[in-house]
Amino acid sequence: MTDGHVTAGPAGAVAQAVDLTKVYGSGEAAVHALDGVSVEFERGRMTAIMGPSGSGKSTLMHCMAALDTPTSGTVVIDGVTVNGLKDKALTTLRRDRLGFVFQSFNLVPTLTARENITLPLDIAGTKLDQAWFDTIIDTVNLRDRLTHRPNQLSGGQQQRVACARALVSRPAIVFADEPTGNLDSRSSAEILGFLRRSVDEFGQSIVMVTHDPVSAAYADRVLFLSDGRIVDEITAPTADSVLARMRGFEPAGRQG
Amino acid sequence: MLRITLKSVRGHFLRFLLTAFAVMVGTGFVAGTFVLSDSIRATLDGLFNQASKGVDVVVRGTETGAAGQASSGRAALPLDLEKQLAAVPGVKRVVPDLQGTALIAGKDGTAVRSGGAPGLGFYWDPQGQSFTLLDGRGPTKAGEVAVEKRTLELSGLAVGDTTQAVIGDQRQSVTIVGEVKFGAGTTFGATAVLVDAQSARTLFAPDGRVGDFQLEAADGTSEATLRAAVAKALPADAEAITVTDFNKENQETLGTALGFITTFLLVFAFIALFVGGFIIYNTFAMIVAQRTRELALLRAVGASRPQVRRVVLGEAFVVGLVGSAVGIGFGVLVAAGAKAALRSFVGIDLSSDLPVDALTVAVSLVIGTVVTMIGAYLPARRAARIAPVAAMRDDMSIPAKGLRLRGGLGLSGMAVGAGLVVAGVTRDDIAWQLVGPGALLVKGGAIASAPVLARPVIRVVAAPFAATLGVVGKLARENALRVPRRTATTASALMIGLALISALGVVAQSTKASVADLVAQEIRSDFVLSAGGGVAVPTSVGPAVAALPGVQSVADAVGFGVRTSDGDDLGASAGTAKGLGDNFDITMRSGSLDAIDRGEIIVNGDTAAEQGWTTGSKVSLAVGALAQKEYTVGGVFAPMQILATDIVVGEDLLEAAVPAAQRFNQGVFVKAAPGADLTALRAALVGEVKEFLVVSVEDGEEFQSTAAAGVNIILGILYALLLFSVVIAVLGIINTLALSVFERTREIGLLRAVGLRRRQLSGMITIEAVTTALFGALLGTALGVGLGVALQRGLRNQGLELLAIPWSTILVVLAASAFVGVLAAVLPTVRAVRLDILKAIATE
Repeated sequence: MTDGHVTAGPAGAVAQAVDLTKVYGSGEAAVHALDGVSVEFERGRMTAIMGPSGSGKSTLMHCMAALDTPTSGTVVIDGVTVNGLKDKALTTLRRDRLGFVFQSFNLVPTLTARENITLPLDIAGTKLDQAWFDTIIDTVNLRDRLTHRPNQLSGGQQQRVACARALVSRPAIVFADEPTGNLDSRSSAEILGFLRRSVDEFGQSIVMVTHDPVSAAYADRVLFLSDGRIVDEITAPTADSVLARMRGFEPAGRQG
Repeated sequence: MLRITLKSVRGHFLRFLLTAFAVMVGTGFVAGTFVLSDSIRATLDGLFNQASKGVDVVVRGTETGAAGQASSGRAALPLDLEKQLAAVPGVKRVVPDLQGTALIAGKDGTAVRSGGAPGLGFYWDPQGQSFTLLDGRGPTKAGEVAVEKRTLELSGLAVGDTTQAVIGDQRQSVTIVGEVKFGAGTTFGATAVLVDAQSARTLFAPDGRVGDFQLEAADGTSEATLRAAVAKALPADAEAITVTDFNKENQETLGTALGFITTFLLVFAFIALFVGGFIIYNTFAMIVAQRTRELALLRAVGASRPQVRRVVLGEAFVVGLVGSAVGIGFGVLVAAGAKAALRSFVGIDLSSDLPVDALTVAVSLVIGTVVTMIGAYLPARRAARIAPVAAMRDDMSIPAKGLRLRGGLGLSGMAVGAGLVVAGVTRDDIAWQLVGPGALLVKGGAIASAPVLARPVIRVVAAPFAATLGVVGKLARENALRVPRRTATTASALMIGLALISALGVVAQSTKASVADLVAQEIRSDFVLSAGGGVAVPTSVGPAVAALPGVQSVADAVGFGVRTSDGDDLGASAGTAKGLGDNFDITMRSGSLDAIDRGEIIVNGDTAAEQGWTTGSKVSLAVGALAQKEYTVGGVFAPMQILATDIVVGEDLLEAAVPAAQRFNQGVFVKAAPGADLTALRAALVGEVKEFLVVSVEDGEEFQSTAAAGVNIILGILYALLLFSVVIAVLGIINTLALSVFERTREIGLLRAVGLRRRQLSGMITIEAVTTALFGALLGTALGVGLGVALQRGLRNQGLELLAIPWSTILVVLAASAFVGVLAAVLPTVRAVRLDILKAIATE
């Protein structure tokens, strides 16, 4: 963990994209999932990305998270320019500097909760920081579930394990893709509350894709995407202000 | 429904391809076996028809004794009979069947040999139709020979060259005056040398006796008429037979002898198909599991259970049909390989090409397809049980049934089987009726309980990986254990092959050790002269060697047949009391060895017990070509392995009973005089036998290893054939891995997202494969060694006195299995590392 330093509070961009485009297909059938997006995610803040289905919000996150390669444009994560990196370097970048929480299927079914949490460290062969591990475990309240396998955990518990895994390597930034998409409202609140606390207490930077205004309200800043462009943003959002904003640019009213 | 079936096969093409490949290998063996036996039959037809061209009736001695190692078991006929036969009305020509052994030295000075096939000597008959002159002329006087085409090729000599030859018993210098072709094109691997008619009489019938006469009928006389006419003119110990019947008889005899090859291949075909069945089962089970939703949807839209079952079985039918069709082609390759092996190892040359007839095609297609459908039956039944509601469920797995019952049954089956085997081998004489079913029960039990055994064994096997590679090793281990049933089935395929290999290995190693030990214990000879398989040591070698200074005595190893008055066929050897007593460690239970020098016989203790003979008994026997006569049992000797014969007679009796040309001397055992200089003696022996071309001199130790070496060749062939079942097992591992990689697409995507490197991913899959392979290998070698030890215990009184376990072979097998795992992981690994992370994560 060479770059485990995480500074609390806004201190410049932890990740940034410049003129990002992503085109699927070619010619007539070409779809511009991202159409010249330039954006900065601030260190120690939680940013939500919202937008209707097909707006490009997931594509943006995937490109920012080094999971997908943009057609053009530049992505810089924690001072590293991602463009042109080979698979090995990308993998190392993801392993050491990024954390992930997906909507579902976050855990390896054959590993216990504890093993799932320490997976990135084990893969890297890095020694576990026991104090930090304990802090996270207590925060997500999983101490009595560590030896359980994923199929012995509830959906909410599984997502808490996923969050703990995302944080355990002290990544520069955590990407969460609809982390509460499959959960009931109580579990959702737990997860979002936990993500919020990791920003407030540990200075973690988080980027979260969501379509739920309530979830977005946990963020410091909300970006709105439509047709592959950033069309708006709100800082210090509330559920109502987000909802109002969404109605404003989406007459169809359907969320994806 | 048919359309759905075909679409499914096309849709899952790659998976089915591997399954079809397994079917192909199994069916290939079946097809190859049929093709080969057809080829053997065609070759034999050609051979006998050609050899008997222009012959209508054969006159031969009546059957007297047993057909021994080198005796026809028929009375020999005097050559003088020729004139009598020629006088019979309707006979156009009488040809005495003068043939024997003949070898020439090639350009390099060594005997021209083709594998282990014999070197045959014939004579040139300008009117005969068996041989056709290609070059030069036929031999007309002593010292001239014509040489068969392939023999000449092998020799590197040409017409006009002079070389050394051993013909009959005579070594001589000969000039090659002609090149001939055997009518049928092939001599079945044997080399052939032709001498002139007059020389043939002295060389091949030195005692004036011959095995048979071939008669050609005058124009207008039929085979049957001639036979009847000739039969009237024959003495009591001769009989006439039409050439049609004669050929049929010979063909049956040779066909039976070669039948072992086809039986042998069929056994391996069965093993290959059995192993293939596991892979077929596994593939279909996994495909059904992965398609639960799709199949449930079929049910939901109104397909009945039998219809769903038919969809799966229909897929099996298509795959089986395609696999076995390709297998027929593979079978021709198998047959071609076997043909080449027969030619180079055994020296049997099949001239016929490889015929694929309708029966071969039909049998192969039916067997391949049926086996595939049997393998797919259980998965098909499971598929039919899928509830329609599963289409709506997220959870795609079919709940696995408990393994406890299966494990319990399997383990108790193993225990009962092991009990049977132990009971079978602990008696004096191995009880195959207990050992056979016992061994099958153990194997079956092991296959049944393999899923239960998987957990502990894989934990141990994977421990070093988990310890050194951390989470990658651990993930690999857990993946191997995720569906124990599947891992176990995959490993079972390997287990079966390796169990057979290691059981064979133990038996073979024990045989080698025991043979070497026996040779050391039972033989006192200082030197052994032998000519290698298929070729006899000329009878004149023994007396010549005995006359050398420094030689105390010699013993020949001539085997021949003896028939009792009750019709029992026994084996006999001959020698002098001194020669046998000096060279072999013979323990007389009663009577004395000297009895054989007085014209009495001595009898093996076991044989004496079976026949109820004791020293002093008067027994009536037909020895070799002699008619039944009374002999006195002069002694009973303790059974031994080297002189493993029922009866030993004196040399005078041998002279009378077996014509020199029919005597097959396997070796000459030489005992040096006390104090003789062994180095000098060896040099003298080498000098003495040099002219006999093929005879080699070995001391006791060398003879031990030569005696044991025969085992290696057989072992090599068996290993090669069993290797096919291992190949099938590898296909099984590939298949299972490929399918589980496919099943775990999302998980792999996740691991890659959180930072698993490609190399780590391939490492993980490779370790999973290696663990699975090692699991099967450990189980297989453990079972095999156990069975091998049991067999050795059971056969301890039949020559397998010593137990020797080939540890190095077993280690090699285990290491090779690990390597096999690595190999099997290549394709699935390539697939896994190429997975697009995003797509993998998004996969349903």
